[in-house]
Amino acid sequence: MLDFNALISTTMTDTLTLNEQVLKQINSQIANQLNTGVLVLDADFNIVIWNRFLQVHTDKIAKNTLGQSIFSAFPELPERWLSRKFSSVFQLNTPSFCSWEQRHHLFELPHTRPITTDSEFMAQNCTFLPIETDCKSKYICILIEDVTDVCHYQTKLQKTLAELAQISRIDGLTQIYNRRHWQESLEQEYAKARRHDKKLSLIMLDLDYFKLLNDNYGHQCGDMVLIEVSALISSLLRVEDIFGRYGGEEFAIILPETALSGAIELAQRICNKIATKVLIYKDQAIKVTVSLGVAQLSVEESNYEELITLSDNALYQAKALGRNQVCSADCSKSLLID
Amino acid sequence: MSEFHLTEDQQDCLQELINVAMGQASDQLARYLDTFVYLKVPSIESVDAKDLMNTLSQQKNTMAVVSQGFFGYEGIRGEALLVYQEEDSGRIADLLGYEPDELSQDEQLIDISSILTTTFLNVFARQIDNQMSYNAPKLLPSAKENLSEHLQQMPFSWDLALKVNINYQVTDYSFNCNMILLIPETAITNIKHVLDRILAEF
Repeated sequence: MLDFNALISTTMTDTLTLNEQVLKQINSQIANQLNTGVLVLDADFNIVIWNRFLQVHTDKIAKNTLGQSIFSAFPELPERWLSRKFSSVFQLNTPSFCSWEQRHHLFELPHTRPITTDSEFMAQNCTFLPIETDCKSKYICILIEDVTDVCHYQTKLQKTLAELAQISRIDGLTQIYNRRHWQESLEQEYAKARRHDKKLSLIMLDLDYFKLLNDNYGHQCGDMVLIEVSALISSLLRVEDIFGRYGGEEFAIILPETALSGAIELAQRICNKIATKVLIYKDQAIKVTVSLGVAQLSVEESNYEELITLSDNALYQAKALGRNQVCSADCSKSLLID
Repeated sequence: MSEFHLTEDQQDCLQELINVAMGQASDQLARYLDTFVYLKVPSIESVDAKDLMNTLSQQKNTMAVVSQGFFGYEGIRGEALLVYQEEDSGRIADLLGYEPDELSQDEQLIDISSILTTTFLNVFARQIDNQMSYNAPKLLPSAKENLSEHLQQMPFSWDLALKVNINYQVTDYSFNCNMILLIPETAITNIKHVLDRILAEF
């Protein structure tokens, strides 16, 4: 190639043996057939050599580019930052790197997969190597590797992992948190409440006569009710509340920094809202109700499971008192004593 | 004593080489960064894989770890880990002479790591008539959980490693970081050969 031969002719002396010439030719041909961009700069950042990879990936003409400053040949480069990076290579005589993971690309070059990937420019790993020659002049060799494929698949992998993590937390039918994630959250909220001495309340709720509904209208109707009720409850919650499907037709809501009175108020609102909502299944109007048990964390409980037991007991109390109502741990305790 | 442990003479010799390299590296860094760079007298010890993972995972407030592989002639190779604490890395862009908006925090950590590692190892390599090449530095994802996992997946299997711990301090920029050079078993044998040669010449 033109540029490499030009360099050879300027440095070549008549005393070169044939062997050395052959070696130079081999070296220059390898440089030109590499699938890596090679660019050499002098101490003033002017382009001294560039290989075929760069010539075919840019629309620049070799003879116009050689001798030009890299920053005028490639105006897209961040000049201030890159000059400082170059100076570390010259001054410390150490290599420097620039990875696609921190900076997608330095040079705006097209790549070979413009259709099948969504990145406009070639993702690059760049290496800046110090080159010292016999005549004491210093150069920098810039290697530009095309890592568009790596970048593309890595991005896809990250996206898939994030989706998987999300799916593993979500109940497939109702799209609210599943039991496992809900319970992990409760464990964390319990620890937080204990450490910072904050309030924490819990609502457990259960659809009334759900088995009967399934028997009369079929399981598809039951599923529709679960979906609708979940959505209805979600619309009544604050962002920090953690709502999950505890089991079949049982749901649970963690209420951080909430006292019992606030939790009862919310439970009552949920109870009323569901009781007055008319659901439609195959042109039939369906009315459902829920029973709710509410508890607040006190000094007595030594783990989060005990808080679940408290609200569960209150829930059974609400069922026992005739369903479609809210019962708190306090009232279930007093009733048990009576 | 196993074949991978250094004798007292070898240990002294390595310590001396490292001291000299540290002096030169700190001088070069001071000139490039235009501020004093203190390198604390290093500790050299043999660690087994399990101990190392325990000590590293016990370090509190570890914000980031940057890893960079190095390899030279005569089978001298290993991995440098640069460990940063939360409170010690607020002004890296400043220290490097960059504008903060020119690069991300991750890139700042990678840049300074690469400069510290390669400057020191280049000088060290010259001491033993060698020359180092380097992998691109990598920021390990969320340091805490993954450090021991990373060590288990290192590209060489090892039970014992030579651990050189060097502390860098730039007081003007309240910068502080720890460089841990890990040299795996097979490379220890190679280093021992080099040290023996130097001792013989001495």
